[in-house]
Amino acid sequence: MGGKFGYHGQWLRVDCSSGRGESIPLDEDALRRFLGGSGLGAYLLLELGAATVEPLSPEAPLAFVFSPLVGSPLTTSAKFAVVCKSPLTDRINDSLASSQFALAGKRTGHDAIVLVGRAAEPSILVIDEDQARLESARDLMGKSCPETQRLVREQLGPNYAVAAIGPAGENLVRYATISHDGRHAGRGGSGAVLASKNIKAIAVRGRKTCRWAFPEELNRLSKNLSKKSLGPATAKYRELGTVSNLLLFNRMRMLPTRNFQQAEFEQAEALSPQRIGEQRAKTQKSCAACTIGCEHLFSLKDGEPAETRLEYENLFALGPLCGVGDPQMVLAASQRCDELGLDVVSAGGTIAFAMECASRGLLDAPWLRFGDGQAMLKALELIARREGVGEFLAEGSRIAAGKIDGDSIAFAPQVKGLEIPGYEPRSMQAMALGFAVGTRGADHNRSGAYEVDFSEEVDRRDAGPEAAASAVETEDRAAVMDSMILCKFLRGALDDYWAETAEMLRLVVGWDMTVEELRRTARRIVSAKKLFNIRAGWTPDEDTLPDRFLDSPLPGDGAVLTRDRLGEMIRAYNLHRGWSAEGRLDEEALR
Amino acid sequence: MIVTVEFFGIPRERTKLSKVIVEGARLDEVFRELEEQFPDLAQACLQDGRLREGFAANLNGERFVSDPATEMQLGDSLLIMTADAGG
Repeated sequence: MGGKFGYHGQWLRVDCSSGRGESIPLDEDALRRFLGGSGLGAYLLLELGAATVEPLSPEAPLAFVFSPLVGSPLTTSAKFAVVCKSPLTDRINDSLASSQFALAGKRTGHDAIVLVGRAAEPSILVIDEDQARLESARDLMGKSCPETQRLVREQLGPNYAVAAIGPAGENLVRYATISHDGRHAGRGGSGAVLASKNIKAIAVRGRKTCRWAFPEELNRLSKNLSKKSLGPATAKYRELGTVSNLLLFNRMRMLPTRNFQQAEFEQAEALSPQRIGEQRAKTQKSCAACTIGCEHLFSLKDGEPAETRLEYENLFALGPLCGVGDPQMVLAASQRCDELGLDVVSAGGTIAFAMECASRGLLDAPWLRFGDGQAMLKALELIARREGVGEFLAEGSRIAAGKIDGDSIAFAPQVKGLEIPGYEPRSMQAMALGFAVGTRGADHNRSGAYEVDFSEEVDRRDAGPEAAASAVETEDRAAVMDSMILCKFLRGALDDYWAETAEMLRLVVGWDMTVEELRRTARRIVSAKKLFNIRAGWTPDEDTLPDRFLDSPLPGDGAVLTRDRLGEMIRAYNLHRGWSAEGRLDEEALR
Repeated sequence: MIVTVEFFGIPRERTKLSKVIVEGARLDEVFRELEEQFPDLAQACLQDGRLREGFAANLNGERFVSDPATEMQLGDSLLIMTADAGG
């Protein structure tokens, strides 16, 4: 059994059918090869054969994965990954969330908790160190995510940390979230997977801690890192939040508007953080163990406390993407997504798609118009309850396109079924590559290729194979950060990313990991996710963008991304990864 | 050369302005002019005619520039922003 420092060296397998848990050893070789979080989750799911099961079946595993850094004094380290086969994409999905659940989860004495099976009735899964049991969740059904969390803690006691689903998860909406303390394992529908096991909430507690290999040096490094985390590299997140992206993206015609029909929004100024904050109470929060404090919250109504988190992704998805320029509507919709347990990007993207279908006469829902905030709110409710148009919008834009009109898939804003985040691919063509090849679909977190678009390295409106090397580099860095786990907002504070992360591992776990080994680990983690997808049925034609984004100029801008050029970029990316030009690889990549 | 400088992100926060008109024939001249006019901006984002690490400059919404000798043309807009576009 591995895990002398930083790890417990075991994972907990919980059969939801019986409510019983079994601790299973994890060998040090696996931990060193996959680290934790996203990487360890991919490894466990591969070992459990998850690639070939139906995502919502009892056999499908759902993994909550911690990391060696959880519980350490390193800033932003209180994070956990939720890894499963996605019911939205049928491919691997790893999403991250933060705060006390990570700390309490690891204190159960396990590096991961994996759920299989299905409870006989709606249940709370309670994990008290290595003891698991089920309690009835009958009285919680229909409750929002925050309300569920509150009630479960009232019932069990405040030293439990709780992750829960809302009504959207209960109704198996394919992009339902798992939420904890206002943060979400958002993308890809892990909330539906938890619901398919008849689990409404999972509550964890424990007192088992890990030791660190070099505690005094670790404390010194942690203090230095915390100091750097308060410097200029994180000023944008601390002072403004990610919402500050909106005006810049609008100016540079990168802001997806009206289902990606345009890239600038005439009402963008009304949605600036300065304007939104003018007439509302606002406050800031941070996750447990975080010194950055990137969360900016606003009040929904005059006189009410500031409780609605606003990030760039929910601002764009529930604002310009749906043609909505009223900040009140955007805030209300954001709050409802959090309460219902809906991924904002997929919710906004699917609604925007439906709005376009309605405007084209393909969908009999004339009330669902671009710019109508009330219609957007109504759509969210219908989706969460799977009523009316919500019944098929709950499936995501790709499946909805199949039900509405076969040709509408050309403008369903998704890759592999995952709706595209707030970066217009035609004017950020390195990011377009990142979206096309991403293992969980269109994703700006697993690929940071927008950094390349924001540099002199490529012409962001006419990029080519030269973007591939940097796209790989940003993916590799993300793979390590998501497995360590550290918040990506910290990355600018690291002067030498690879050397400093290797040093963190040395001080926490005691491994003398060279930069070269860490780079190989990054590549192995990305390859593991790709191998999962291949086993799940991936074919090369999935690595692409919808027709809307290819060969036609971006309206109002003229930038063109040709299908051929995207194909060249993808081939260059695959070869740079050491895969075949088509993107195939085998188990050798996991060594 | 008359250049419109547009501020986004932290640069906007430091100047409390969305845009300003300055004179400069080259990029470094524009930056030095800004350093002089906006001490808070200088402290956060500029030093000796260059942008500090973590900030970027884009010409006319088209290309990113960093060479101090980059020539300004009449009617140019120089966008100054936080380089990190993470969301």
